[in-house]
Amino acid sequence: MVRLADIPEPERSYMAGLECVPYAHQPLTPAVAPEERHVAIVSSAGLIVRGQRPTLGNDTGYRSIATEVTDSDILCSHVSVNFDRSGFQQDLNVMLPRDRLKELEAEGVIGKAADTHYAFMGATHPDELEDKAREVGRSMLALGVNTVVLAPV
Amino acid sequence: MSGLAHYLEDEGLSTTVVALVREHVAKMSPPRAIWVPFEMGRPFATPNDAALQQRVLKAALALLDEPTSEPLLRDFAEESNDLQGDLSWEFPGRLDAGSVLAEALSVLPVWEKARARTNRTTFGISGFSPETAVEFIQRYLSPDPMPNPKGMAPVSRARFSVDDIKVFYLEAALANGGRPSSFQLNEWFWKQTLAGKMILDFQDAAHLGEDKNLRMIAGSLVPPERTYEYL
Repeated sequence: MVRLADIPEPERSYMAGLECVPYAHQPLTPAVAPEERHVAIVSSAGLIVRGQRPTLGNDTGYRSIATEVTDSDILCSHVSVNFDRSGFQQDLNVMLPRDRLKELEAEGVIGKAADTHYAFMGATHPDELEDKAREVGRSMLALGVNTVVLAPV
Repeated sequence: MSGLAHYLEDEGLSTTVVALVREHVAKMSPPRAIWVPFEMGRPFATPNDAALQQRVLKAALALLDEPTSEPLLRDFAEESNDLQGDLSWEFPGRLDAGSVLAEALSVLPVWEKARARTNRTTFGISGFSPETAVEFIQRYLSPDPMPNPKGMAPVSRARFSVDDIKVFYLEAALANGGRPSSFQLNEWFWKQTLAGKMILDFQDAAHLGEDKNLRMIAGSLVPPERTYEYL
């Protein structure tokens, strides 16, 4: 089990000291009914499609991962070495549970699994991600997505 | 992730966050979050455990059904047993200890077996073959460095070559399946392989060298606990 207290020093102190300033304005979009949910996943694992430019430190861009991209063409380019990658190497769904989302669609738990999911480089200050976060949000809305699962590493 | 949730909600999307560091998400207060007690890097728990992964995803989505006027932060009730490991696991091949390159070549058929078993690899971010990635690192700080192909700065190529070498060895380590923990795999790689030793030495040299760019990436080559434990 990994809790902050379980992480070895000096990383524990570094992580504990990371700036986490809540936003003064707290937007809230009401959820639609489960059967109307069109759900995309946004990962912060720096995932890329094989052949795309890897994300580097302070990269504020995002990468789109379409359904037709095979599991074997999804790579992890996150700058940090402070998280396990062996789970991802065994099963993409550990970081990007797109197969599980499809199953929930088939079961009727959600209305639709999105055809495209997205990945950012998590080791970036949230303020620097604003432009691209809003851009990807508008892209998702244009595709009919109304619900997002945010997956860290 | 909480910052992304903020902007996406503001654009008109409903979000639910899966959180690995409870302290951070509690401070940032996104509208809906579920803390999962799993290893960093495994937000959806155990590889190839579809049932558990689905329960995590359902728990995250269930937050959307709760009335929210204040931020919701729930704890996922289950834990995984990933860190228990697999005492029967051992590297499914014989490592050639003659040199780093010889060792990598001895890993190659094991890795190919692993690829055939899973029909997948996460190797390839450097653009090199496994043995070329090893040679690139081996010669990087020598008087005779390998040419760096176009498209990526040398220092980035070095960083991603290191990533690829680790992927190559760890994927090979699972050629016969099994459920070794990440700790077991890391123990093996950093303590028992020449490639692990090469990367530790490379990081040490990068820290001490005059190349400012290389010093900047030195911290992203080796997990910190490995650095302090083994150097």
